[in-house]
This record gives sequence, C-alpha cells and structure tokens, in this order.
Amino acid sequence: MARPVGNNLCITPEVGSEDMDPDVSTRMIILGPKANVSESEVVNFLHLLDLPLTIKWTCYGAMVSGKDEYVRQAVEELRKLDPYGIFTKERGFAPGDPRKCRGHRHGPREGFHQMEKEFLILDYVGEALKHPKEVHIEKKEPVSLDLFKEVLENSFKEEKKQEGK
Amino acid sequence: MVKIALVSCGTEYSGIQKEIEKAALKFGAEIILPEIDLDFINEAYEKFGFSAQSSSLKLMIARAMSIVEGKCKPDAVFIATCFRCAEGALVRNEVRRFIQNNTRIPVVTYSFTERTKADELFIRMEALATTVTRRSILAREKQEGLTLGLDSGSTTTKAVLMENNKVIGTGWTSTKDIIESAKIAADEAFSNTNYSWGDLDGIGTTGYGRFTMGQEFKAELVQEELSVNAKGAVYLADCQKGEATVLDIGGMDNKVITVNNGIPDNFTMGGICAGASGRFLDMTSRRLDVDITELGPLAVQGDWRKASLNSYCIVFGIQDLVTTLAAGGSKADVAMAACHSVSEQVYEQQLQEIDIREPLIQVGGTSLISGLVQAVSETLGGIEVIVPEYSQHIGAVGSALLVSGMGHRNEQ
Amino acid sequence: MVKVAIYPPNSLVIADLVERKGHQPLALQKQIRQKIKDPEIDSPPMNITEDDPIKGLKYAAIEVPSGVRGRMSIIGPIIDEAQAAIIVDNAPFGFGCVGCARTNELSIFCLRKRDIPQVELTYPTNQDETMEMINDLHAFLDKLTEMEEAGEFAEEEGDD
Repeated sequence: MARPVGNNLCITPEVGSEDMDPDVSTRMIILGPKANVSESEVVNFLHLLDLPLTIKWTCYGAMVSGKDEYVRQAVEELRKLDPYGIFTKERGFAPGDPRKCRGHRHGPREGFHQMEKEFLILDYVGEALKHPKEVHIEKKEPVSLDLFKEVLENSFKEEKKQEGK
Repeated sequence: MVKIALVSCGTEYSGIQKEIEKAALKFGAEIILPEIDLDFINEAYEKFGFSAQSSSLKLMIARAMSIVEGKCKPDAVFIATCFRCAEGALVRNEVRRFIQNNTRIPVVTYSFTERTKADELFIRMEALATTVTRRSILAREKQEGLTLGLDSGSTTTKAVLMENNKVIGTGWTSTKDIIESAKIAADEAFSNTNYSWGDLDGIGTTGYGRFTMGQEFKAELVQEELSVNAKGAVYLADCQKGEATVLDIGGMDNKVITVNNGIPDNFTMGGICAGASGRFLDMTSRRLDVDITELGPLAVQGDWRKASLNSYCIVFGIQDLVTTLAAGGSKADVAMAACHSVSEQVYEQQLQEIDIREPLIQVGGTSLISGLVQAVSETLGGIEVIVPEYSQHIGAVGSALLVSGMGHRNEQ
Repeated sequence: MVKVAIYPPNSLVIADLVERKGHQPLALQKQIRQKIKDPEIDSPPMNITEDDPIKGLKYAAIEVPSGVRGRMSIIGPIIDEAQAAIIVDNAPFGFGCVGCARTNELSIFCLRKRDIPQVELTYPTNQDETMEMINDLHAFLDKLTEMEEAGEFAEEEGDD
C-alpha cells in the first residue's frame, strides 16, 4: 500500500530497525539557563565518548539515542561536565520520528511545552543542588488543644485591655 | 490537498487518530495541527476567557485562536472531544462558535468514543471536503432554471422538480430498483407539468443511491445527504442565515444536523433502535387501526400522561399501548403516548450528543405526523419546531436547489 | 534503587533529581516507548488503539470518557509499579498524556491511595520556593535510600 506522504500527522512511519528496538532509548539533554557548557560542547563531549550512540544537536541541548546501557553511561559521564547545569529526561519517541517530529507535522510535540515551562526554574534547581540544605519533611500537625486555648485566652485578654483603654 | 486542522484535546488517547486520518485521506484531505508556542497558548487562553482545567483544552483554544488570527490557514476545521466529558463539550461548542463567528472556514464537530470508526467519520469528512471544494455551490440561496432533484433513500425514492425558485412537481415511491424507482418518482414529478427529461437544465442526486443515479442520468451534482438535507431544510424553512438544527426521524434511522449559515457542522445518525424511529408510529397506527396520516391529528387531541407506557421498545412498548387500550384508554391518548415515546427515545439516544440550536426544522416523512412534531417540541422544553412545506421531500429539494446554476445542458 | 512514580509523570526536574539520587523514576516516556515500538500495532502516532481505553476500565468505569481511560492505560501501570511517589501540585502540566484534568485527578488519587512512601509538594513560583522544593525532594529521596538499605522495599518485592 502506498504510504500517504506530506504533512500528515498520522503517517505510518518509516523508522529504522534501531528505532523499533525495545532496548534502545532516547534521552534529551537539557542545558539550564546558566549552564557552564554550550550545546556544541555537549555534543562534542558525547561524540568523544566513542559509544555506539546517535547524537543530535538541538535547540535545548542534545538528544542521545542508543542501547539503554550506553545511554545511561553517556548521561553519567556527561553530568560530571556540569553537575548543576545539565539535566536529562527520557523521551518516548526516537529523534526525528515522523510521528512526533515538528518538522513533519507543523506543531511541536505536546511534551515540548512542559519542557519550556520547566526550563524556567532550572536555574534555581541548579542553585539548590549546589547548596543543599538539611531539611526535614514532616507533616504539619494541628496545635495541641492546650496551646490553642492559651492563644485564644491571651487574645481575649488583649482585646479587653484594648477596650478598657 | 484540502488541509483540515485538527482541534482536539487528545483523539490519539482514545485510539481513534488513525480512523480520523483514514477518513480524511479518503476524501482527498489531510489532517494538520496549527503551529503555536507556549506564550501564545497562555495569551490565547486568557483572551478567550474560558477557564478550562485541562491543559489540552487550553491547547485546543489556542489552536482555534491561531486559526482565527490567521497564523494557521487550514481549509477546514475538525473539532473533536471525548463523548461524555462535560468540560470538553463546553469548550468544543464555544470554540466552534468562535471559529464560525470570526472566519468563513467550514467546521465540523464530533464527540467520540473508542468505538468511533472511520466509517462514521466518512460522511463528516466528505461534508467538510465538499464544503471546501464546493463552497460556491453551497452558498446558493435561490433556485434558478428548471432542475430535478432525486433522493434515493433506503426505503423511499423522492423526486422534486423546481423552476425559478418554486417547487412545481413532486414524486414519491418506495425504493426497489434504484434506477426504476427514480424514473417512477421523476415521472410523477413531471406529470402535472408540460416538461420532460429533455427540458431540464440540471439534475442533482443524493441519498444512498446517489452514485448509481448520478451515472445513469449523468447528473451534474452527486452529493451526500448531510449537506443536501441541511441546505434543503434551511432553504424551505427560510433560515439560511444563522443557526438551526435539522431533525429527520426516518422510517429506519434518524439524522440530526446542526447548521450554521446553511452549512452543516455536526451530525448524528442513529439506527439501532426501532423504538426511536417512524416504524414505532407505523406499528401504533396499525394497532389503533387508523391510517398513518390520521395518527398525527388524533395524537394532538390526546394526553400522553394518561396512557401508561413503561418501555420505549417496539415490542414491549406497543404491548403497553395495547394494555392501555384494553383497560379502556382512549385512542388519542395512546397515539400521543406513542409520539412521546419516539421523541423521548430520540432525545435520549441522539439529541444529547449534539448542541441543539433554535429553530429546529423537522423534515422527512414523519414530520407530517403533527403529534410527533408537538411531542418533539415538548420533549425539548417547548423549543420552536418548524415543519416547512415539502418537508418530506427535503433531500430532493436540496439537490434541485444546489444543482441549479451548475447545469447548462440546454445551452449546449 | 527504588521505583519512584512522579506526577506530573513527564516532569524533567523531578525525573532528573530522582535519578541523581540513584533511584529509578517511573517516567511516562518509557511506557510510551513500549507502545510506539511495538511492531504488532500500527496505529500512529501513539499506537493507542481501541483496546487501550478498554484496558483503562481497570481504573475508571465505562461511563468515563474514552480519553481518560486511554490515558489511564498508560499511566495506570506506572502507579501500580511504584514503590514510592512524588506528587507535585500546581505543576505546569504538559499536554497530551497529562493534558486531561480528569485523568490527572484520578491518577493522583490512585497514587495517594497506595500504601507507599510519598511526598506532596507545591510547584515553586520563585527562587526561594524552588530551593525549598529541591531540598524537600532531596530529604525524601535520602529517606528512601535509608529505607531501602534497611531492606524495607526488598520485602515488598516478594509480594503480589
């Protein structure tokens, strides 16, 4: 059957065998606004690792695609380059997959907008990572009845004092 | 290729994206997504003013805004949300209105389930594609010259002869052989005039047998019934501008079409229950031993509340009516109860998935049953229901109207 | 390595942090990849077919719109698999999978209902809040590591 071509957003994709391999994953490498490295440095670094990976330069950083273990290895190494400026996230579709690629279907992927939004706080996230603080996450409990009573009585007393003046 | 912009909150998650694509491709159209960025989404959403919780609905609004502002230039728009989602339905209708009020781009809306198949979408996509490619034809508001409209339905074949914006002859026969039945109906339409086949300026065909008739009679216009019936209805009811709903309770299936400035934008068709069709009334009139033409006037005199009817079903419902009669109930009450039963069933099965717009134009053979028309109005809270003259010939009138101006066979 | 469900399930920041702390974020993308790479299914772009909203019946009744059930068929397995959960309220939800408010409400409810360690945070609107959120997340993730070392998750794996 002839495949429909053009800008159709639901074409049956002609993806390579690697793209259909369940062991292959794709990672987006996103650089924070104050990252100490540039997109090209990231891409170069990834190439120099000499792992069997597909590396793509993008507007937000890079995309790495290949066997899971190599991708993981690459990400680990890459993080060392700028631990507080490089962020990564998995991507469902392979780079350039015509089913989701902006080049093929006009609009951006749905996930892109969320990334755009989260990008705005990456700076702060990096900052917080650099200066971790000891915190305890405890659920707030209601104050004890005695304390509540005390506060209440005090405020009544206060009010009476005010009225007395 | 006709470009249809998809404005939806997630057809892909219902597993029907492929079906939509399939339907569009069949009619030489492709589906595109309007290009927008994040800032534009927020800006558009705020400008539009509908506080939707679902972000995909915000995306829908932004896509519609992008179309209205001319950032994206599709030929047509397909708006779809999940069936039974209140938030989705509200946004769907507001977005639809927004695009229609601000552009001339044809729109079709749809509420889908995972069961939606390409077949159901075909007629909508065909209507969209033809609205685009035949806009000038659909814009026709007056019939000119001498034209014949043929409507070959699954049970009956109708013919209408029109001359200079007037119906001058009609024909009706039950459908047997498509071509033979069409000839019988056409001859009947010609019978009281001095015209014959050779005098026609053009022929338009519609209905299930439209392609067969179109070939045989070399019709100038072969058109699906959605556009034709909508056009015929608003023409006859004199509602060519603004909004309207066309309801056709048929002998076997029902159609509801919503129309904006004469162009259909949503449509539902049901045919799964005989209790929601003209067949129920046919059975009732036989049980009451009155002619179907007398059922309406009889029903209007009755009170449906006085006849107990516990089922919409054509088997159990009719049984209830018989029981009422046996207990001494009046024929008029039973007739009206039957009319109400059909209209309520149509309401529950079909009218709920469409946004009803006034006036409601009732067409088809059952629109001649006055009791049913009254029942429909009552079921819909006293909505204005118009039954235009020739309402039973709606498809044929629409075809005769739309083909005028296309046919020049007498000049050649 | 604790399997941590995150909500929104496609969050960059949270998935990244979970991974930094040596745990496994149960990200949506993985689920999607499984779907789109299945050569048996040819229903682009997502390879979601009529069957998926039916699988979603496990999480929501038939009267619930098909789009919710279709999405739950992807998000649901993540919720079931999770050993811990991080829920961020008021997060900027993306579109697509997480673009339906009803699905998100149901997903978060299903996560809360599970008897697993979980933390709920509010999406930050300024620098201080961001710092606070990150530190809270760190504390939670460290606690998970401690619990894991104490063997609390190992027992669970034997179950069901």
